[in-house]
Amino acid sequence: MNRRNWIRGWIISLAWLFWPKPKGIAAVSLTPLDEAAFRRMVAAHRGRILLVDFWATWCAPCRAEMPQLVALWTAQKRRGLDLVTISCDEPEQEPAAAQFVDWQGAPSPHYIRHVASDDNFINSIDPKWSGALPALFLFDRNGKLTQSFIGETDPKLLETAIDRMLST
Amino acid sequence: MKHCLVAFLFSALVAASSVYGQEFKVSSPVAGFSVTQLDGAPAHFDNVKGNVTLVMFISVQCPVSNAYDDRMNALYQDYVPKGVKFIVLNANRTELAAAVQEHAREHSFQFTVYKDENNVVADRFGATVTPETYLIDSAGVLRYHGSIDDAQNVSRVTTRRLRLALDAVLAGKEPPQAETKAFGCSIKRAPKGT
Repeated sequence: MNRRNWIRGWIISLAWLFWPKPKGIAAVSLTPLDEAAFRRMVAAHRGRILLVDFWATWCAPCRAEMPQLVALWTAQKRRGLDLVTISCDEPEQEPAAAQFVDWQGAPSPHYIRHVASDDNFINSIDPKWSGALPALFLFDRNGKLTQSFIGETDPKLLETAIDRMLST
Repeated sequence: MKHCLVAFLFSALVAASSVYGQEFKVSSPVAGFSVTQLDGAPAHFDNVKGNVTLVMFISVQCPVSNAYDDRMNALYQDYVPKGVKFIVLNANRTELAAAVQEHAREHSFQFTVYKDENNVVADRFGATVTPETYLIDSAGVLRYHGSIDDAQNVSRVTTRRLRLALDAVLAGKEPPQAETKAFGCSIKRAPKGT
């Protein structure tokens, strides 16, 4: 994920932003997810390294980094990396979020947070997380949170962390 | 073994409190800090604070922050007459003073917006997201930290968290919730060492 890929991410993100959106229901739907569903989802990935991407259509850096995360997952999935995307969009943005995540080729199912309280949801994932996006969370093969990347993350830092976990 | 446990607990405590070198915490006093006016002149907390002071981190480009622009103006209209002073800050390295000024004009902000150069004040408060608010009482103690309310879309708001905290602090009481969280845009920090 070098500078060229970073620029490509922004171009793809901007292209999506201005691309004509189809009317009506998006071809893919997002799976609602709350605290309990999040815990079950993480447990279902035990035995693999899990990268969870919290993003939103209103978050420009999230849109820009999505192609890089998909490229990273494509390159490393055979070594044991899984990628899960969770949209933090409001319900009215769900069709656009579904379209974007599908367009990016992110692995299914795609999730959207559907919770009674953002406070409880955010704290259940990482009490040190304020809710700032983008936010990436790395879980080890036992389903334990090992690293959080809040805000714009240096792709090399993320790649190094994942490579280290895949190597152990 | 006991020493190891103490050392571990201490380091965990340090790690938990070291979000960008966070210095100001809920229930603790807020020491003086300086902000920059949009014309470049400095302003000190002691000169702009009120009996109760609301510190609010906002953004020019963040759609979540912008979704709250009308609510921020309404807060200003409702609480300035009650003696609350507003210190509204833009800490994003990507948003220069001219853009902040233009944004304030476009959205008819009634409050002054300051620049937090190199996010020094954001670091001291541990602010990471926009919008994010901090409420300081008459004794200079931080009483509330968190979101303005519980929904980006105003039609879905059920708890006006900041207003509840403001009303409580103005009445000399504890806010119903001292800390809250919400999704928003990360503050675009300056690289360390600049």
